[in-house]
Amino acid sequence: MTAQITVEVLAALMKKAAGVTVAPDALLELGESGFDALGVDSLGLLGIVGELENTHGTPMPPDAERCKTPRQFLDLVNSTLMAGA
Amino acid sequence: MSAPHERRAAITGIGVVAPNGTSTDTFWKATQEGLSVLDRVTREGCEHLPLKVAGEVRAFEPAATIEERFLVQTDRFTHFAMAAADFALDDARLGQADTSEEPYSIGVVTAAGSGGGAFGQRELQQLWGKGSRFVGPYQSIAWFYAASTGQISIRRGFKGPCSVVASDEAGGLDALAHAARAVRRGTDVIVAGSTEAPLAPYSVVCQLGYQELSCAADPSRAYRPFTEAACGFVPAEGGAMLVVEAEQAARERGADVRALVAGHAATFTGASRWAESRGGLAHAVRQALDEAGCAPEEVDVVFADALGVPEADRAEALALADALGAHGTRVPVTAPKTGIGRGYCAAPVLDTAAAVLAMEHGLIPPTPNVFDVCHDLDLVTGRARVAELRTALVLSRGLMGSNSALVLRRGAGNA
Repeated sequence: MTAQITVEVLAALMKKAAGVTVAPDALLELGESGFDALGVDSLGLLGIVGELENTHGTPMPPDAERCKTPRQFLDLVNSTLMAGA
Repeated sequence: MSAPHERRAAITGIGVVAPNGTSTDTFWKATQEGLSVLDRVTREGCEHLPLKVAGEVRAFEPAATIEERFLVQTDRFTHFAMAAADFALDDARLGQADTSEEPYSIGVVTAAGSGGGAFGQRELQQLWGKGSRFVGPYQSIAWFYAASTGQISIRRGFKGPCSVVASDEAGGLDALAHAARAVRRGTDVIVAGSTEAPLAPYSVVCQLGYQELSCAADPSRAYRPFTEAACGFVPAEGGAMLVVEAEQAARERGADVRALVAGHAATFTGASRWAESRGGLAHAVRQALDEAGCAPEEVDVVFADALGVPEADRAEALALADALGAHGTRVPVTAPKTGIGRGYCAAPVLDTAAAVLAMEHGLIPPTPNVFDVCHDLDLVTGRARVAELRTALVLSRGLMGSNSALVLRRGAGNA
């Protein structure tokens, strides 16, 4: 699977793995405070990475769980998925 | 205990999530009416197990009071704890604005017997069913018996002393005593108590090994301590959190001082060695009374451990006679937990909540489902008894051998 992770997918994963509800459009408008401001902690982000790895059958780089903002995160995971295609 | 400038520990707030009520008001109404809510176990995955009767919390909607972000990372026992802590803080009229000013002046103490069984089971099933990659990261914290202390402190921003007491079922009382000690040492407020959620398949299977567990199928006969028909105890979920606060600080802010935590002591006599618990419990009672500066005759009501195992019941009745002398056979004794079950560490905290409410209302709640008492005790059965209550003694024992006694004195409101 090489489908790109959209903001909609990320928003759904944030709700499932971290219990945080946020409008997809609002995700990319977040500044550097990013995930912290939303209340997604490091374990929450780790859970999101795990869900992506399981659904795509591809390991994500270690940096994925260290991303500070949704934009950084999407750029990283999508480039990883592209590279693995 | 009686130094002139001693900081005394007051109870200023009560939050209850119990099988017979998910607010302090409904809990007290059901408790003083002697309503029994013990019923067939209906929890999914438990129906076929030998445990037939329990005290389930059925009217609790965690999402109504707790943010989803906290719900996904916690087990049911922590959901109970966060909700009960909210209720207790509301009851004490301590809002976010009050506690955020001096976050280091408020801490949390809980006790837990087993931690997050349902959460842990779900994630272990993922592990063995699908593989390690399918275990969620929150498994690392949700199952942990310390989770409730941590999550209450994080969610409410409390940065004062936080701890967890792991001392068996009696740990519920030990947590309250620990909170009182923290208050005496200088912390203004401790949110203290215990909640448990042992009614999930994995947790129930673990309990089946307890020889004291009642597997009787009739809810009205499954848990009848102090009678010839005693056949063990019925487990329960839920619990209570209390606000334990420096009396002086409470009075200065105009809060109701509902009771004082006056004395406590704990002993250990070995797992399921019930005959030996007599001496351990009696010693705890004597030491707790001594710390409270309280004569045996001053005890107006006893909230009994009431395990429901003949040997243990006998030991408890004898311990009261040993520690209180002739008063031990005259003082009213009650065990409202026969109507809701024993929530392990949470059981004595619910008893403490009931004791405070009993002192406030001048009413000793009865012991549901218990009639023909076969020990030399004045057990309150049938209906609540009106009585002037100034001092209450709460007892607890754990299956692993801990014994604990807590002495409460009636507060003087906001006078």
